[in-house]
Amino acid sequence: MHGVPASGSYQVGRQRPASRFAPLAALLALGLSAAAVHADETDVFTQRYAHRLAVGTCGICHGAQGNSTQPKFPRLAGQNANYLVTQLKAFRDQARGDPDAISYMWGMARELDDKTISALAAYYATQKPVPVRRRDLALIARGKEIYEHGIESAGVPACNACHGPDAHGLADFPRLASQHAQYVLKQLASFQSNMRDVAVMHGIAQSLRESDMQAVAAFLQAQP
Amino acid sequence: MMGAGARGSYRVRAATLALLLAATPAAFAVPSFARQTGMACEVCHTIYPELTHFGRAFKANGYVLDNLKQVRDVSAKRDELLELAQTPALSIMAQVSYTQVKTPLPDLGLPDNPGLAQNGTASFPQQLSLFYAGKIAPHFGAFFQITYANDSGTFGIDNTDLRFADVYVLPNDQTLIYGVSLNNNPTVQDLWNSTPAFGFPYAASNATVSPLGGAQIDGALGQQVAGLSVYAFWNEALYAEIGGYRSAQQASLNQLTGVAGPLDGTASNVVRGLAPYWRLAYEHNWDRHSLEVGLYGSDFKLLPGGAPGSPVPLQGPVNRFKDVAQDVQYQFIGETNLLTIAGTRIHESMNLDASFAAEAVANASNDLTTTRLWATYYHRRRIGGTLGFFATNGSTDSGLYPAAAPGDPGVITSASSSPDTRGWTAEVNYLPWLNTKLSAQYTKYTKFNGGSTNYDGVGRDASANDTWYLLLWFSY
Repeated sequence: MHGVPASGSYQVGRQRPASRFAPLAALLALGLSAAAVHADETDVFTQRYAHRLAVGTCGICHGAQGNSTQPKFPRLAGQNANYLVTQLKAFRDQARGDPDAISYMWGMARELDDKTISALAAYYATQKPVPVRRRDLALIARGKEIYEHGIESAGVPACNACHGPDAHGLADFPRLASQHAQYVLKQLASFQSNMRDVAVMHGIAQSLRESDMQAVAAFLQAQP
Repeated sequence: MMGAGARGSYRVRAATLALLLAATPAAFAVPSFARQTGMACEVCHTIYPELTHFGRAFKANGYVLDNLKQVRDVSAKRDELLELAQTPALSIMAQVSYTQVKTPLPDLGLPDNPGLAQNGTASFPQQLSLFYAGKIAPHFGAFFQITYANDSGTFGIDNTDLRFADVYVLPNDQTLIYGVSLNNNPTVQDLWNSTPAFGFPYAASNATVSPLGGAQIDGALGQQVAGLSVYAFWNEALYAEIGGYRSAQQASLNQLTGVAGPLDGTASNVVRGLAPYWRLAYEHNWDRHSLEVGLYGSDFKLLPGGAPGSPVPLQGPVNRFKDVAQDVQYQFIGETNLLTIAGTRIHESMNLDASFAAEAVANASNDLTTTRLWATYYHRRRIGGTLGFFATNGSTDSGLYPAAAPGDPGVITSASSSPDTRGWTAEVNYLPWLNTKLSAQYTKYTKFNGGSTNYDGVGRDASANDTWYLLLWFSY
């Protein structure tokens, strides 16, 4: 583990930051060769590398600042850093098994190291989510009801208990506000089928009807 | 246009050649990219060889995105000296096909008494390719294809595209991908499937007959030229490219130096000077949709030279071909349904000073317009098909599109000296796995070389060239 992120991912601009920050990088290399290193501590070099990676590679699908315009790819702007770290490691370890995770992210995260993952997560956490236009107000209202109060008859708990009152995420639970509705629906389906293996969400998704899912997804997409 | 300067005296041979060398289509499906990136085919392709937005960005970035452990060398200043993947980016591809032409082609083995060839050509393989496709060094990647084709019976260089590329992050996190492509087929470096090299039909029979008319940029010079172009792709939306193509201007062998001649070794249609190539395109992506509109063109000055084995001095007047084309591509990429609508219109202005002086063509100037439009649908990337329309219209010229001489078998002649051709191609595809395609393709001609009935003057109708083509196409 040296100053150069060991991720074999897209080799964007390793040279340019290196030459620009050569003295700093050399110092860092010296420092990092010492035994005691905090694995998740990101240096300037890693941050710059992660920034270029996020914009130049991840951004092809997720949007340069994490505001993807295509519903196949989740919006990452403003996402909870803890959650992003967990997910990127799960992709790398091939532990998250929903279809798009397998076909896209297992490869993309295959050689990411912990420092780069932390820097990527920090980058997205600090990006500003761009609000999505509201659409079906009746559907959104129904979704808001489920999000805030759950569905007692079906044993579905309120979503806001974990995802926060404004759906901005709490602790390790992801931000869902302004997420593409189609992406949310696909994840709920993956929880339901257990392809994405999350015990809590599996139980909840099994209790939700398709129309409930659509309402919650519409509500979440409309949240700022 | 092949051998326009020497057509008359080589008519029979040219006929044979044209029959045998019906345009070999490009083919593009390379699992070594998947191994390198660790990502499935669907990331870069709807169905191969059609690219998604990510596939276009991957290509523009020089084929270098990799997620493999590397053998590396770094200088004390952290300059990257080497990055070698532990798995070389090698792939193989095979096409096995069966072709049935509605009316069999003449058997030219007995020129004085041509009977009909046996119909139904099994090609095993039609084409077998070896690729190096992937990263070579940081920012430097290759798509390199060597192909055995059953019509030539030999291995030869196929589509090749070497790229250097990098990305510059602009203020406000916009991107500017820029690079250089060294390639051997105009449009092979292009990012969209609406341009000729990787346009529909993605595979076609080489055991049927092709019409006479075709623009230079429409595949006529593939693997015979070397081109260098620079490009920039701003925010993965606005694309601009400019470059030039050359070929060695000497006979097949330089008598003084012993150095080999033009890339194809025939000394025919040799580029004089540098032929410019340009491209401008804009792509917009929203929701699950992607729309591209663009322009491209080239200006080739070609010395007609001679036929294979009969080089003539490469000097004097040239034939000039100015091609200007428009293209459009729309994609909807859903989880269940995938739809693509694409097309191109190529206009070619010809000033055939060389061939006119040699009395090989009737007019000093001609023009030709080719239009192709197709729609592709797939259900869950498993089963789907394409319906395509094609039309070529151009000025008549009894030298370029000659009539059958007495005793000629016809077929690739034109009684009306016209290149006008029109028809449809329909194909149904089934992909049991994403790297294996089974196709049934039918091409229907309503007009061929200027006519619907007796187009060649020897009694053959356009519909006689309707072709069934069954294909097994896989790569690994």
